[in-house]
Amino acid sequence: MEAAITGYLSLLEGFITASDGAGGESKLRYAVNFKWTNSMLGLSVVEQQDAIFDFCCILVNIGLWYTKHAAVVAGKDGISMDEAKDVHKCLRKAAGVFQLVKDEKGKLLQQEMVTAPGADLDSRILDAYMHQSVAEAQEVTVARAIELKHAASLTSALANETSKIFQSALVSLQTLEDPVFGKWKIYLQLKHAIYQAYAYTYMGENLLAQDQGGSAVSAMKQALKWYESSELLCKEYAAAKGPGLSAKPESHLFFRRLGPLVRRILEKAERENGFIYHQNVPEEPPELELKATYGLAKPEEFSLSKISSEWTPAVYSAFDLSRGMKEDAKKSAGGGQTTEKLPEMQEKSS
Amino acid sequence: PSVPSKEPGADSVAVGEGGIPVDEFGLPQISS
Repeated sequence: MEAAITGYLSLLEGFITASDGAGGESKLRYAVNFKWTNSMLGLSVVEQQDAIFDFCCILVNIGLWYTKHAAVVAGKDGISMDEAKDVHKCLRKAAGVFQLVKDEKGKLLQQEMVTAPGADLDSRILDAYMHQSVAEAQEVTVARAIELKHAASLTSALANETSKIFQSALVSLQTLEDPVFGKWKIYLQLKHAIYQAYAYTYMGENLLAQDQGGSAVSAMKQALKWYESSELLCKEYAAAKGPGLSAKPESHLFFRRLGPLVRRILEKAERENGFIYHQNVPEEPPELELKATYGLAKPEEFSLSKISSEWTPAVYSAFDLSRGMKEDAKKSAGGGQTTEKLPEMQEKSS
Repeated sequence: PSVPSKEPGADSVAVGEGGIPVDEFGLPQISS
């Protein structure tokens, strides 16, 4: 995929930057009409006669490909260390691509009409995809921290950070309408709740290890609240309708482990506080650690291809806009949503 | 050649805050 994308983008670059030696804007930038659909808005076509529009849309698709590739690998039973690294890397790459589109398209795309509410190039959507990719990369790290039995304080702080990033993705979507975006929002709420439950659980374990029985019970009660909230959100998510394939979080091992873990540590904290510490249990749960020191995922910068060597001054000058292409250029000085529909891509669920 | 001043490969080891070596996921390395 990466070789194909590098090849395509390096050729597309010739429609953006002139290959006449001077290197200004290509005379071909507005020569071809590009058609795309948006990931959340059904099959309605958006068209724009601008190579940068195609450039941004291709990048969004690369980002989505990385997220889907990561999901396929992560969905296997008992993934290896190399596969876990692949998932982590793909999600960071996806985040880097969405970040790049957000940063670049504002500068380069001149017409706001291609960014209809909820379109893939809408900043809110790009932000949501970017935050979700980073948060999902961190999910891999949280799972690893638990598996390798890293310090409970580290796991708690990392789970809290992950929860907050899911919440940032949710905030990005807040102003978008529910019939289309409701299911996505519930998914993000659910992930936020699960990681809050994990964060309080490992906090409770850490407090107990420090002989703070009362605070540990308080933290574990909060963990149970978040766990119960995530159970409800699982049901809400399963019943919600919206674009895309549905995840089955309630059947994932990571979620199935959470309930017994919360109850076991809560029971232990209550027992030990009752028998050993006799400390008051604060009404308010203790504050979670604000900043994780380890395991934070960062978007990986996506390197753009250089212009293809096929674009020579002779090839560039051979394109004659006065013949044929001129009509197209007139046709779509604007662009935007059309009534045309593109055929649906069939996505396999496994 | 001069005597190496540090362990071979030390430059390629990622370090987190406080100079603690970290793995590919940014977690502190646990010695096996």
